[in-house]
Amino acid sequence: MRKLLTSLLLVLAIPAFTLSGVEADSLVARGERAYAAGDHAAALARFDSAQTAFTSPALLYNIGNCHFKLGDIPHAILFYERALKLAPGDPDIRTNLELARQNVVDRVNELPGFTLGSTWSRIRGGRDADQWARRSLLICLALFAVLAAAVAARQRILRRGLLILGGVLLLGTLLSVGFAASRHREVTDDSEAIITSPKVDVRSEPKDGSTVLFVLHKGTKVTILQQQLDWSEVQLANGNVGWMPPATLERI
Amino acid sequence: MLKLYRHLLIPLLSWCLALTVQSQEIKFTAQVDRTTIATGEYVKYTVSLSNSRERFEAPSLGGLVVVQGPFDNSSFTIVNGRMSGSTSRTWVLTATAPGRYTIGPARVRIGNGTIETEAITIEVTKGAATHSDPNASQGQSRDPNLFTTITLSKSKAYVGEQIVATYMLYSRYNSLETTKSDMPKFDGFWAENVELGETNWDPQLSTVNGLQYRTATLKKQVLFPQRPGKLRIAPFVMECVVNRSFFNRGTEVSIRSNSVEVNVSALPPGAPAGFTGAVGELEMVVKADRTQVKVNEAIELTVTYSGKGNLKLMEAPALDLPADLESYDPKVTDRISLSGGGMTGSRSYQYLIIPRHEGDFPLEPITFSYFDTRSNSYRSITGAEMTIAVSPGDGSTATVQRPNRSDVQVLGKDIRYIRTGDLGLRQQGEHLFGSWPWLAGMSTPLLGFLLFLGWRRKREAQRHDVMGTRRKQADRTARKRLNEAELALKSSDRSAFYTALSRSLNGYIGDKFGLGPAQITTANLTERLAGHAGGEALADELMALIAACDMARYAPVEDRPRQQLYDEAAALIGRTEQLVRT
Repeated sequence: MRKLLTSLLLVLAIPAFTLSGVEADSLVARGERAYAAGDHAAALARFDSAQTAFTSPALLYNIGNCHFKLGDIPHAILFYERALKLAPGDPDIRTNLELARQNVVDRVNELPGFTLGSTWSRIRGGRDADQWARRSLLICLALFAVLAAAVAARQRILRRGLLILGGVLLLGTLLSVGFAASRHREVTDDSEAIITSPKVDVRSEPKDGSTVLFVLHKGTKVTILQQQLDWSEVQLANGNVGWMPPATLERI
Repeated sequence: MLKLYRHLLIPLLSWCLALTVQSQEIKFTAQVDRTTIATGEYVKYTVSLSNSRERFEAPSLGGLVVVQGPFDNSSFTIVNGRMSGSTSRTWVLTATAPGRYTIGPARVRIGNGTIETEAITIEVTKGAATHSDPNASQGQSRDPNLFTTITLSKSKAYVGEQIVATYMLYSRYNSLETTKSDMPKFDGFWAENVELGETNWDPQLSTVNGLQYRTATLKKQVLFPQRPGKLRIAPFVMECVVNRSFFNRGTEVSIRSNSVEVNVSALPPGAPAGFTGAVGELEMVVKADRTQVKVNEAIELTVTYSGKGNLKLMEAPALDLPADLESYDPKVTDRISLSGGGMTGSRSYQYLIIPRHEGDFPLEPITFSYFDTRSNSYRSITGAEMTIAVSPGDGSTATVQRPNRSDVQVLGKDIRYIRTGDLGLRQQGEHLFGSWPWLAGMSTPLLGFLLFLGWRRKREAQRHDVMGTRRKQADRTARKRLNEAELALKSSDRSAFYTALSRSLNGYIGDKFGLGPAQITTANLTERLAGHAGGEALADELMALIAACDMARYAPVEDRPRQQLYDEAAALIGRTEQLVRT
C-alpha cells in the first residue's frame, strides 16, 4: 500500500524536476570516477549537479570530501554537517567532520547538553526521520492486528496476553512517531550555519562600526537566532551572542 | 734642585757681598707697580733690601692671592772700587674680589733694631669677568687654591627634562691626591652617569678671575627631575692631600663644593591622551619591513624613538593589533649615548608579527605624545597608516594542515574515501514523515480495525438472535416432541418412542445451549451448566438419560419401563428450564 502510494507520488513529482533519477545516477557514477582519478574539482561539479534535484547523506558526504580535498574546509564542514543531519549515526561522516574541524581556528567550548536529552538521543540512535516513520507504520499495523486478534480471541488468557502486547505496541508507535517528529524537526531546522568567509568581526549591533565583540573564522559553527537587514544574530556553542554581517555564513 | 740652589747659593753670595758692603747705608723698601687694579689683573709687589745680608720677613699679603713668585733677585755693583749690593723679592699678586687690600709691612732685623717697610694699600675694582662661571668664583672665594664646583646646564626645568650636572675640580697645587670623595645623593632625580673614563687634568689651563687653574672634570651626570618644586643637590665633599713630595708629607685639605638648586615646574595641563611622560626633543618613526605576506610569515614592525630626552624611560608603544595577528614581546634596541649634551640617540621596539589567518588587516596608527622642550608644549606624532595584506599560505591544502590547536595530535591522517555505488538518492525535500502516504499508512490499520470491530459486532448480533430464538422455543419444541413420544408410548411403537424421546432431549440441549448435534457431550454440557447449583449432577443425569435412550434405540435391551423414561425426561427438562432461568 505504502509502496504504491510512494511510487504514485514519485510519478506525480518527477515532472517537476529537470533531472531524472537515471541521469542523477550516471552523474554520480562519473563523479566517483573523477574522484578516484584525483580530479576533485570535476567530481565536485558532477556531485553538485546531481544534488540540484536529489539528495542523500552519501551524496552530501561525497561533496564534503571533494571540498575537503580542494582545501575548502568551511564548505567541507558545511556538507558534512548537512549529511550528518540526514544520517546522524554515520561513522564516516563523523570521522571526516572531526578531521575537517581540526582545521578550524576557533575552538569553542560547547556547553554540556541535558543528560536526559542525550539519553533520548541514544535510544533514538542514528536513524533518520524516514526510518522512524517507516518503523512507526509497521508498529502501527502490528498494533491494530494484535488488537483485532485480541477482540477475536475466545480464551481469556490469550486475550489478556494479546492486550498486553497491544499496549507495548502502542507505546512503540507513540515513541517512533515522536522520534520521527523530532528528527524531522532537526532535518528541516536550518538555524545552524557555518562561517564561510575567512574572518568575521562579530559585532554588538547589526551595523558597521559598532563594537567588535569577538572575531570568528571560517568553518566555525554558529546558531542563527534572528536576521535583520541581512545581518544575522548568531550564538556560539559556548553561549556568546553577536551580529554578523551578511554573506559571511551558509545555513546547514 | 732649584730650590736647594736658591736656598744655599743666595745666602752664600749675600754673605760674600756683606763682607764688602758692610760700611754702606742700608735701604729697605717695598713697592708695587700700581696701586689700583681690576679683579683678574696683576700687581707686582717687590721688597728690596740694599747693603745688608740679613733675611727679611715676608709681609702679610692681606687677602691678595699670589699668582707667581716669590722671585728672589740679588745684584752687586762695584763703582770706583766700592762695592754696593742689594737683594729683592718679588710677588705677582691678584685679588679675586673687589675691595681694598692692604699688604702689611715687611720687616728686617739689623743689629738691635728692626726696619719696616710701609704698608701698601691696593684698590681692587671689579674687572671684566674673565670667567663666566659664578660657581667657580664662589668656589675660589672659599679657597683660591683648591675648590670644586657643581654646575648645571640649566637651573629651570620641567619634570622629566634633562639637566646635565658637571663636577669640576680646580687646583693650583702642583701635586694633588684625592683620598676620599663623597658624591651627592639625589632626591627627586633620576640620574644617569656619563662615562668619562679615567679622571685627567684638562690639557688647557683655566683662568678664574685672573688665576690660572688646572681643572679636571670629576664627573658628569644627566639628571631628570621627577617631581616639581625646588630640588636641591647637596654639596659634595672631597679630601685631598696637596704638595706631597719626596721631602714633604703634604697637607691634608678637605674641600666642599657648592650646592645647587633646580626649579622644577610641573608639566602644563592639557596632556594629550596616551601621554606617558616623555619629555625632550623627540621623533617617532614606524616602519614595517613588508606589508604583503602569506599566512604564518613573519612581519617586522619597528617603532623608533629618537632625539634628546630620557630615552631609557621610553615605554613600549601601545600596539593595537587585530586579533588574528600574533605578536611577540618586542625586541628593544638602544642606541643611546650620554654626553655633555645629555642623553641622545634612539630606542627601537621591534615587533615580530605573524598573521595566523588570511585577510586584510588595517593596523591602527601608533600615536606618540610628548612634551616638547623646544616649544614648551605637547606634541603628538602619528605613525604611518598601514594595512597588512595576508594571502593564504601555499601548498598542502588537501592534506591536513595543523593550525595551533595544541591538543590535536593528528599527523598524516586523511579523510575517509567517498561512498560509491548506490547512494540512496532521494528527491530533494521528500520526507516520508508527515507525508500523505505516511498519514494514510498510519490511519489504514486503525480504519481496518474499526471495520473489523463493526463486522464482528454485526455477526455476533445475528448469531445471538438465532440462538435466542432457539433457546426461547427449546422448551416448547421439547414438549412437542415429548407429546410425539407419548403418542408412541400409547401405541406401543418402541422405535418411534425412543427416537422421539432422544430427539426431544438432544434438540432441547442443542437449542438451549447453542450446541450443534456433535457438540452435545458431557464436557460441553458441564461447562455450560457449571455456573448453576447442581448443574453438574443435572448434566450427568441428562447425558445418562440420552445414553439410555440411545441404548434402547439401537439394542434390544430395555432395562426400565418406557413410562418411567418418559416421566424422567419431562422432569429433567423441567428442572433444567428452572435451573437456567434462575
